[in-house]
Amino acid sequence: MTLTLTLRTPPPALVVAAGLIPEQLRGLDVSEIGAVEVRCNGEVLAVGDLFDVAGTADEQLVLAGDLRRFDWIGAGMSSGQIDVRGDVGAWAGAEMSGGLLRIFGDAGDRLGAAYPGARAGMTGGEIVVSGNAGAEAGVGMRRGLVAVSGGTGAGAGLRMLAGTVIALGGIGAEAGLGNKRGSLVSGRPAEPLPSYAFATRFHPPALRLQLLRVRELGLTVDDALLRGAWARWSGDRTELARGEILIFDEDVRR
Amino acid sequence: MSGYVVGDTEVADTFAEAFPMRFARLLITAATETWALEAARSMTGFATSVIGCKCEAAIECLLTSSETPDGRPGAAVLLFAMDREGVGKRVLERVGQSVMTCPTTACFDGLAGAERTVPLGRSLRYFGDGFQASKVIAGQRFWRIPVMEGEFLVCESVGVGHGVGGGNLVIGAGDEDVALAAAQAAAEAMRGEGVALPFPGGIVRSGSKVGALTSNSMPASTNHQMAPTLRAQVADTLVPEGVSAMFEIVIDAVSEDAVREAMRRGLHAAAGAGATHLTAANFGGKLGQFHFPLSELRDPP
Repeated sequence: MTLTLTLRTPPPALVVAAGLIPEQLRGLDVSEIGAVEVRCNGEVLAVGDLFDVAGTADEQLVLAGDLRRFDWIGAGMSSGQIDVRGDVGAWAGAEMSGGLLRIFGDAGDRLGAAYPGARAGMTGGEIVVSGNAGAEAGVGMRRGLVAVSGGTGAGAGLRMLAGTVIALGGIGAEAGLGNKRGSLVSGRPAEPLPSYAFATRFHPPALRLQLLRVRELGLTVDDALLRGAWARWSGDRTELARGEILIFDEDVRR
Repeated sequence: MSGYVVGDTEVADTFAEAFPMRFARLLITAATETWALEAARSMTGFATSVIGCKCEAAIECLLTSSETPDGRPGAAVLLFAMDREGVGKRVLERVGQSVMTCPTTACFDGLAGAERTVPLGRSLRYFGDGFQASKVIAGQRFWRIPVMEGEFLVCESVGVGHGVGGGNLVIGAGDEDVALAAAQAAAEAMRGEGVALPFPGGIVRSGSKVGALTSNSMPASTNHQMAPTLRAQVADTLVPEGVSAMFEIVIDAVSEDAVREAMRRGLHAAAGAGATHLTAANFGGKLGQFHFPLSELRDPP
């Protein structure tokens, strides 16, 4: 069953929505969910003050409306699925360890990122965004997938340990700074940092599988990206240099 | 129960005797069907009998790009051994030597969800000499092994299932060419989902018996009872009068039903292609857990 929260009243300020994840709502009835507290500008609001609540809380949660003032959506999630029908604020999916977060809109800054001072961010799970993402997506990621149909802002994959950030519309500036073993993928031309070195052009078989997975999760992936060649840049050479930035090169039929 | 006839073909009152085996199913993909097939043929080469090859393997079917995990053309391969450990060793050797070496290939588990697994990429990754990397995609771990062409992608482990090995059908005719044509028709009909025919073209002409009359050390020797040239020489010949050539088709499959239905398809195809006599090989019913009486195959598929 699916629990649907439809935004009724825009909040007066930013809302910390970290608790709105399936594992914390599972088993609650509609009135109990309406009474769940979220913090807004230092005050406590009830979910029912902001949302119309419908359905049963189980593994799937749908959030609908303009949620740009809602930060931390899906943060800390370890299982289940959240579908957001609208834009979201910052820190969506931060430090996820499992489950699926789909955002049918734009995501703010630090999508799937590590908390400030934390050594590792996402340790599992999948985040897909049908629009664009803000700055520093996937910061400190250790494992998992962040896939964005549009572009990512500056600093994607900062201090990545491993995992994959895909930006079909292209990664922004300074991507992969401090990257150890992570994979950054840009579907559009991009300029890697000077601490990355060009390795080769090839057809990465693992990326093909990941792109098919992203397509399965609802993003549009052009066949050319599946067939074409990708440039591999190795880095960050200020770290292990075992990470990579893959940049779509050309449509080479295979 | 006596034998019966299908058209002009006499079907003997006997049964095939088969054994429990363990198997793995691998999906090999490549840039083209040609390369997928090259890898699959290489991997299933010299895998006709556990007696001499330590495993039995065959191409189950070709796969279209819509049927494979990475959207490229591929081939499904079935590999059988006597136990899970044997499956693990043979899969590792053969994927390492025949699939990883073949241009453009990738290798996936075709038995997802199996209760028991054996390591594949988890072991093969060491060929990467420290440069290997892994990706978890949709909950499954894969290994990226750098090679001279780019990367070889291989799944972390493969599932192992309980299968049946040694189902068989013996096809005879008065003319060698007719017998072979009937065997070919049977092999063609028997191939299908869950079925492996491990011998060349699916057909074996040197059917064997357990042990030997002249040696205590040989595990197997020629099936003298079904050798037409010995028909007038041995007292216990099983070659029917008028038969000058016999071919055996050995079937390994993922289940008892898959063996039985493959035998049914083969029996009726052989009968329709000119076989005059059909029988099966067994060991008196004392060795194999599974018995497949030809009397149960009377109804066409």
